Amino acid sequence: MTDTQSLAPSKPTMTEDSAWFESFEVGQRWRHFRGATIDEVENQLITKLVMNTAQEHWNEASMADSPWGKSRLVFGLITGSLTLGLASQDTAENALAELSLDEIRFKSGVFHGDSIYAYTEVLGIEPSDRPDAGIVEFQHWGAAADMRIVFECRRKVLIKRRSHWRA
Amino acid sequence: MTATAPSPNLEDFPIRARGAYFEKFTTGDVFHHHWGRTITSADNTLFSTALAHWSPMYLNAEYAREHGHQHTVLNPFLVLCTVVGLSVEDLSESGGPFLGIEDCVFERPLYPGDTVRAESEVLDTRPSGSRPGYGIVTWKTTAYDQHGQVVLHFIRKNLLAEERLR
Repeated sequence: MTDTQSLAPSKPTMTEDSAWFESFEVGQRWRHFRGATIDEVENQLITKLVMNTAQEHWNEASMADSPWGKSRLVFGLITGSLTLGLASQDTAENALAELSLDEIRFKSGVFHGDSIYAYTEVLGIEPSDRPDAGIVEFQHWGAAADMRIVFECRRKVLIKRRSHWRA
Repeated sequence: MTATAPSPNLEDFPIRARGAYFEKFTTGDVFHHHWGRTITSADNTLFSTALAHWSPMYLNAEYAREHGHQHTVLNPFLVLCTVVGLSVEDLSESGGPFLGIEDCVFERPLYPGDTVRAESEVLDTRPSGSRPGYGIVTWKTTAYDQHGQVVLHFIRKNLLAEERLR
């Protein structure tokens, strides 16, 4: 019998030693490393998975006479969720919970084949009502590969303090 | 070869229209949205991986349990997308572009197997200043779980065409 204790899941190395509450400073900015292309899985499948009945997102024929674009328009919250996903390792690696979103804007249409990159600025840092974590506020932007901004939002996340969780 | 009825002219069939238009909304109206949705582990895993949310809180049950959860946490952005999706036919379908969301608050975590339903109240309607034939409608949407507890809420705005332009 092997030592099952050593396989216990409570290894502090499950997440990277980064992106703690203490790691963030107001004004920090990043372009996150990885972009991602929006295509059939991201828009066609997930838009219907989340019960969005608007066929503009998943019926190519319905866009023939549309004033909004010549092909399927990506559901804005797919673009937004992908932007937040691409930012998540650098902003939520040691998060406890997503608290809020605000000022979500969809700045221009996104179509199948567009590649999205995420950009972030740290807006604020504040204590929370628990001693082991604090709140960080981010501004995020999602942009196509040609730097056209397609999405923006503010986001508050409850993030662990390293002093409590990995001291 | 068996005989079949003559083919109908499909262009004669009336459209059974669905969706929304500007004049549909009056401030104070409340919509109880259709269907509801039980959100499963499959939904959570597909959404979180396809959209690059590789967080162990959503994808590693043991890690989530160490943080006091009963199972993996449903990705809150999946819950938000589902709540908006459930409201689309009543509020915005075929009407015009989604403009934005304000003040979205995640009130509590959900777990695989939990069920959400949604309702919305019309907060404001006004004609578009820049686009004749269109208006802007603002709603407050609230999502509840199967126990009637508030899961999340937000304010949403959409541009909507008048009925004659749909």
